[in-house]
Amino acid sequence: MANTEASLKEAMSSIEGTTGVALVDYTSGMALGTLGGGKDFNLEVAAAGNTDVIRAKLRTMEHLGLKEEIEDILITLGTQYHLIRLLKTRGSNGLFLYLVLDASRANLAMARHQLKKIEAELEV
Amino acid sequence: MSAIAADPGAPETDRLPVLSPMLQRLAAERATGALMRDRGTLYLADGQVVHAESPATPGIDVLLTTGGTLRHEGWWDAVAQAGAGQRVGRYLVDSGHVPGGALELCHLGALYDAAFFALAPTGTPARFRYGVSHWIGPVRPVPVAAVQRETLRRRELLDRIWPDAACDSAPIVRAAAHPGDSPVPARQRAVLELADGVRTASDIALALGRSAFHILVDLRRLAAAGLVEAVRAQPLPATASAHGRITLPEVTADPDIALLRRLRDALEAL
Repeated sequence: MANTEASLKEAMSSIEGTTGVALVDYTSGMALGTLGGGKDFNLEVAAAGNTDVIRAKLRTMEHLGLKEEIEDILITLGTQYHLIRLLKTRGSNGLFLYLVLDASRANLAMARHQLKKIEAELEV
Repeated sequence: MSAIAADPGAPETDRLPVLSPMLQRLAAERATGALMRDRGTLYLADGQVVHAESPATPGIDVLLTTGGTLRHEGWWDAVAQAGAGQRVGRYLVDSGHVPGGALELCHLGALYDAAFFALAPTGTPARFRYGVSHWIGPVRPVPVAAVQRETLRRRELLDRIWPDAACDSAPIVRAAAHPGDSPVPARQRAVLELADGVRTASDIALALGRSAFHILVDLRRLAAAGLVEAVRAQPLPATASAHGRITLPEVTADPDIALLRRLRDALEAL
């Protein structure tokens, strides 16, 4: 029964190595909530840009005829991990959680697991 | 731009074009009430936007019930119980009908969606009624600057996808199918299937229970792909809903100076 702000806070505090988190509407690219980031990392820009990543992947799957759903998308940079988790909302909002992790501190498997839990708390 | 300076969330250097000078002023004076514009209403409390409604967009009730988050009875129960006290949002959460997060997300979705249309350029003067509040009650207020920023961002996004606004308000019809069309993603397909030459973007949004802006995005993408087109220059059939309005020349708050200059130069060169 968490609200959005509490969910973002929980992601920041409970997932080791998180430097920023955003909840994003992937049709409009609007960040419904952000936490962290900072001057050198504009989460709202990242949120809007990553909607294109999701859209490209969905289109590719459509081209391939895959009838699967995306659970999450992982992007590994030199020093960061970016984790995108699509929310399975009962509504048809089309939202995703976007997590920026410090690669030297983060544990990917744990991060994925905890993000799943936060998603569940946000919606049910 | 004092309202933006007064908002600690927005950097002061962020000079936005003013979408509505009146809204700007109301935010600065921390007004409470309803700002009624041509295509929608913004509800303010203490200078922040607490809710928005537009005839062009599905309301929060539609977003909540169509997606299956809430059943119709649950919604009407909440309106009956808490509508008079203007605490419908709170009641929905407290009574366990809707999780707090889901309500916030739907509410923000509806708010930004309606604000996008309410802040659309218009020639009609806006009116403000002090003291009016909305029965949904407090959910999550948003600074005026954030609403303006998002509305501008959305306008740009639409123009980047396909710079023709014809599909935004006219009835939509499917273009003749070309063989070898690339497959259409599921969410766009749902929109495509409702393009029957009668429904407008707003009608499709209502039918699908998705925000009207999402439908505009999908329609522009479909239009860019040549899959849909607007029904143009037709006398409105009797069945057309109130949303099937004619596109009037828009009076914008920020005229395209470069274009006007080019026009003037061209006229002088004649």
